Amino acid sequence: MSELRQIAAVCVVGIGTLRDRYVPALVIVVGMACVVGVLTSMLSVTDGLTRAYLRTEDAARAIVWADGARFDQSRSLKPDVIGTILDAPGIAREADGVPLADPEFLMWLPPVEGFAAGSLQLRGIGPAGLALRPAFRIVAGHMFGTGTRELAVGVGAARKFGLHVGSEVRLRDGKWRIVGVFSCGADIIESYLVGDAPTVMTARRSPGFAQVIVQLVDTQAYPGFQKWLMENPAIDVSVERKADYDLRVVGADTSFFTRMSYIIGAMMALGALFGVVKIMYGAVRARTREIGTLRAIGFGSTPVALSVLLEAALLGAVGAVVGAAIAWLIFDGREMWVWGAFKLHVSPHLWLLGLAWAIITSLLGGLAPALRAGRLPPSEALRAE
Amino acid sequence: MPVVWSALWRNRAESVLTLLALSVAFALFSVMIAINAAYERAIDDTRIDRLIVSCAFDCGTIPLSYREQLARIDGVSAVGGELWVGGGKDTNEHHLTTVTFMDEGMRSAWPELPMTPADWRALDISPTGIFLTRTAAARRNARIGDTMTMNATPGTGTDGSGTWFFTVLGFIADPKGWGQQWSPDMIVGNLRYFQNSGNADERGLVNYLRVAVDRPEHARAVCREIEVRFTNATPALSCVPAKENAEEQMDANINMRQISLAIAAAGLFMILFLCANGTAESVRERLSEFGILQAIGFANGRIAWLVVLEAAAPTILAALIGSAVAPVVCMILSHLAIKGVINLPAVRASPVALGWALAAALLIALLSAVAPLYRLLRTDVAMMIARR
Repeated sequence: MSELRQIAAVCVVGIGTLRDRYVPALVIVVGMACVVGVLTSMLSVTDGLTRAYLRTEDAARAIVWADGARFDQSRSLKPDVIGTILDAPGIAREADGVPLADPEFLMWLPPVEGFAAGSLQLRGIGPAGLALRPAFRIVAGHMFGTGTRELAVGVGAARKFGLHVGSEVRLRDGKWRIVGVFSCGADIIESYLVGDAPTVMTARRSPGFAQVIVQLVDTQAYPGFQKWLMENPAIDVSVERKADYDLRVVGADTSFFTRMSYIIGAMMALGALFGVVKIMYGAVRARTREIGTLRAIGFGSTPVALSVLLEAALLGAVGAVVGAAIAWLIFDGREMWVWGAFKLHVSPHLWLLGLAWAIITSLLGGLAPALRAGRLPPSEALRAE
Repeated sequence: MPVVWSALWRNRAESVLTLLALSVAFALFSVMIAINAAYERAIDDTRIDRLIVSCAFDCGTIPLSYREQLARIDGVSAVGGELWVGGGKDTNEHHLTTVTFMDEGMRSAWPELPMTPADWRALDISPTGIFLTRTAAARRNARIGDTMTMNATPGTGTDGSGTWFFTVLGFIADPKGWGQQWSPDMIVGNLRYFQNSGNADERGLVNYLRVAVDRPEHARAVCREIEVRFTNATPALSCVPAKENAEEQMDANINMRQISLAIAAAGLFMILFLCANGTAESVRERLSEFGILQAIGFANGRIAWLVVLEAAAPTILAALIGSAVAPVVCMILSHLAIKGVINLPAVRASPVALGWALAAALLIALLSAVAPLYRLLRTDVAMMIARR
């Protein structure tokens, strides 16, 4: 019998006896489910936050900043340089020839009672701001007008702060009325209020944008666009790919948590690994006579050892699927707020990561018992009680 | 005890493996309890009688001259100003990122800042001097007497340059507390120096005013009074007690305080099955031994004690080992935090964590013993001796 057929046969025999050893098998499944459940649940925060910031359309977008002020709350980009920026090559245009580029800024509003300073924010956008966000929809009330003290609130901010059509928020020049509630395909902008940029800028008595968000004709247009702006002596700006900016912002919020997730996942995996070694030694002990019989009728030591390893991996994989499924059921799509609303996301990537994490741990844990099973002398194994 | 010991030592390798798995889980449990306690402590260390006063409408800075007006409000005992000036990150370890320039009022407005009167005096007489917290010093491998540079925009000097040179005068402990205006990576500079050497547009401005109030119960009322008094000023002021600010900031970020407890529980659940399986296996394999013990007169209660003790011995031992290992893990986490790899308040394993670990160990042992005991006490002695 070929090695592969032997391996398959021994695995079938081994898995067939799992029914008699279901309690120890359950220990591995539950252990791995806990490890993978915790790991995927924690990483679903990072995944969800990344999804809220990093949009597929951002690949062909760029952000122009005032040099040395690459943050959303800056107001260093003066209105008189915007025209020059919009002349740069590579900017996509609407059907009527208007550049798809929007000068914007983000500003903090006085905190709502019970919430941290900085949590309520207002994004000033222009007409092109809507064209850059095709998923933008007014779901209640109407869009804010220009030249009036009107704002629209994102669905995330509305839920978080209890704002609705008719609510008022205080800006520097008095109270502004919320006239609409909008959604934007789970984009992070749903966590903000939005208003007409020039009108809000007048109210805050500080003429200056943070950035110009630019839609490029394609991803290849970026180098030329960047070079033209950076080498233009009339303006002092820096340029960044929108996707890079998204990762920078998400990274600042989540890098610590991602590292903690892996540290905790590794600690839990170490505990589970010892458990797998113990359980698989027990499994080999319970199957000693069976292994002896298989060896006596001609099965090699490698198929026997591999069957033990595969059994451990299979149980680990089942545990991983259970853990990831529990994490998915409890957390996927659940809204969380970390300086903005986003939905936790147990992505396929996390399922695969959990699966790999559990299988590797189980294989490592099954190694020593597998070697012992492979080395069992048939004569001795057959005498086992 | 000899019966329990011999039962545990019956299969040494498996007992050791169980102990290792349990120990790792308890180490994780203790670390998570320590992390939770660290966040709680950070909140507790932030005082309710300190107020953070900043610009109400996104203007970034407020005039330092507000200090005198605030000092006249009833209940205010001290006011200090601070300005954060930041430079870009640089791979050179002798570059600074953000310097917090403080005025002399901060000595009374934020006395918890671990600077001695001698440190303040040193800062007074050497305008370009800076003090680094232990974390800030460790991140930059700084030594006393080092010259450090900061390239700040905005923050240009009268010479038109954004490059500032500072001398390290000494190190201070990381400030206790939490919040938006708190960081373990803090570099304290002399505000007067910046005011005198910065460009004219940026003089006389600070990011925050810290206010100390005479009694904690006055904090909210004083805050309201500040906001009302400055509501029509340009810029208007916003005020929040430091403790409230710390709690709000903690809730606004990924909340490790809550997550740590969930992870601790998941870790214990993970080992519950392992422990229960071990106890069940042991009882099953020693059924005849238990039968004989019953036959020679051991009462059910004593048999139950034996099983519970057998389950409790490894869990309690693991809780002790895990709690002993936890300080090492906490030290590693603190080291990673100091290096800036992770952002945690100072994590210290505490006796409280040991108490919780022992309690959890007992609970797991009791739960593990329930099913085997139920089976054992329902089986006939003769059947037990016959191992059926």
